[in-house]
Amino acid sequence: MKSKVCLLCTICLISALALSFSASCESVPESAPPSPIEVTDQLGRVVRLETAPQRIISLAPSNTEVLFALGLADRVVAVTDYCNYPPEAEAKPSIGGFSTPNMEEIVALSPDLILATSIHESKVISQLESKGLTVLALNPKTVNEVLEAILLTGKVAGVEENASELAAEMQQRIKAVTDKIASLSPEEKLKTCYVVWFSDEGLMVAGADTLQDEIIDKAGGLNIGMEVKDYASIDIETVIGLNPEVMIVGTGHGSSGNDTFDYTRTEARLRDIDARQNERIYGVDSDSATRPGPRIVDGLEQFARFIHPELFE
Amino acid sequence: MSFKPSSAEPTGTYFSGRRTRLYSILGLAIALVAVVVLATSVGSVHIPLLTTFRILVDKLPLIDITQTWQSPLSTIILEIRLPRVILAGLVGASLATAGATYQGLFRNPLADPYLIGVAQGASLGAVVGFLLPITWQGFGFGLIPLLAFIGALVAAAVVYGLARVGKTVPVTTLILAGVALGALLGSIVSYLIISSGEDMHGIIFWLMGSFSLSQWSEVGIVLPYAVVGTAVIIIFARLLNIMQLDEEQAQQLGVSVEKIKVILLAAATLITAASVSFVGTIGFVGIIIPHAVRLIWGADHRFLLPLSVLTGAIFMILTDLVARIVLAPTEIPIGVITAICGAPFFLYLLRRRKRVIF
Repeated sequence: MKSKVCLLCTICLISALALSFSASCESVPESAPPSPIEVTDQLGRVVRLETAPQRIISLAPSNTEVLFALGLADRVVAVTDYCNYPPEAEAKPSIGGFSTPNMEEIVALSPDLILATSIHESKVISQLESKGLTVLALNPKTVNEVLEAILLTGKVAGVEENASELAAEMQQRIKAVTDKIASLSPEEKLKTCYVVWFSDEGLMVAGADTLQDEIIDKAGGLNIGMEVKDYASIDIETVIGLNPEVMIVGTGHGSSGNDTFDYTRTEARLRDIDARQNERIYGVDSDSATRPGPRIVDGLEQFARFIHPELFE
Repeated sequence: MSFKPSSAEPTGTYFSGRRTRLYSILGLAIALVAVVVLATSVGSVHIPLLTTFRILVDKLPLIDITQTWQSPLSTIILEIRLPRVILAGLVGASLATAGATYQGLFRNPLADPYLIGVAQGASLGAVVGFLLPITWQGFGFGLIPLLAFIGALVAAAVVYGLARVGKTVPVTTLILAGVALGALLGSIVSYLIISSGEDMHGIIFWLMGSFSLSQWSEVGIVLPYAVVGTAVIIIFARLLNIMQLDEEQAQQLGVSVEKIKVILLAAATLITAASVSFVGTIGFVGIIIPHAVRLIWGADHRFLLPLSVLTGAIFMILTDLVARIVLAPTEIPIGVITAICGAPFFLYLLRRRKRVIF
């Protein structure tokens, strides 16, 4: 009996000591303790940082745009070869290509945060983590997820006000477009497609579950590519059968310059489609229309101007 | 096409002396060590040679040097470059040995390690791994190498099963079955690639072969396969020599031809599959290195095989070095470099020797 009482007392004493210890730890610190940040990124991974990152590397052009838009330019230490916007990004050192980042360069720069995408999921991310580096993956598949990506990056980097400001501004611009479109009846929505490139098999268009599908819909169009998933080729016959009224074609370095644009405007077999007859084939810089970053709103506004010029400007 | 033993060959047009060849093996082994150190010291990030030595020597047992370098540098040397160089050496050695074995088994100069569908099987497995929406990481490797390995072995097994006639496996049937299955698998892979969407970029890079992102866990997995498989093949070197005769003659000389075929095929396929699963389908090494070794040192498999191991390793390490420093920080796919480097060298050797060696 006595030994049991002793044991009980000892346990109570130790727990009391432990509790007081933790309590005192919470209330004592002189300067602000480093506040650890813990988030779940867009690949479902839990990411933990002790302090706000000061040396950030971006592994994708869209991530670079997000970082610069949030005012983190001086914290970015390296980008990829393809990061061309904003122009200041091109001046940053490069660590290689999109799916082939150079491990040596990355490690040598001692980054405290690396922004990756889903392309890096299969190999790169585990490699980086095995070297003890922290990786945050952004993988927005919808416009809302783009806004979430911006807020997520803002939270991790400690610039939450910038992020919410940017997200709010983007929301406003999106709403300005969708409000006007809401007044349209279903028949007024025009059959549209977004063309990525062309080949002998036909046109590669943005299908269902792509960002372009969503912004075509928001801009008052009807994506004829929704029969297919992701980016897929539709043969010429089917394109003629679907008869798009508006065609928006990606141009710029990611889409072999103006080749696809020229093709859609000159290919003989497409001469009878509405878009060609009414000269409603438009070219758009593919970087601004396809990158899942802050400029996706520019893309949306451009699409709206192309599809419904009567409503926008 | 059968191999005629070279009784009509003029001597002295290649290193034929036993001693010369043994010295060559020794020399190449030393060269290999030197190349490993060289390749580890050079990369897209400039690290002074002395620092590299210090970092490497510090890792040797019983030696401890006070750290005067920054830790990212030792991470680069020990965890990025060294495993990559060693993996390149293992893969080069494996592919060259497998190539020499296939050429010996099939008695055909065009045979390469991918003849019986191993490459296409691995490619199919890898592409499926890329496209599956699940990620898996265990035992130090991921889903893609695992599926690639399984694909490679299954393809080889299917080809072997198709080509078997009773208890024998005629080599011609094996080649035909391999080509046919390879074509079928290749077309499936092509179809999957066009419908792969955003994974296309990663898949195509994998198919071209690359040593970037090599790590020690991969070395740990490939090493046992490479060592055991190569050892098995080298043990059978003398028998491989005898098999260069007509199979019937070899059988009459007391060689159990079918058993040896199976063992050697299995060993060569295993080491090829292990290599390809992690680094993709690197072409050229398996077919050219054995030929180059034959041109210099002759076709006796007791020397051809060890020399292929060493030459293959050195070649692969050097081409990987070129692939990563020429356009740093961007890397050139290694298949491009092996072709560009290998073809002219081989043509030069052929011109110099000016004789038929096969």
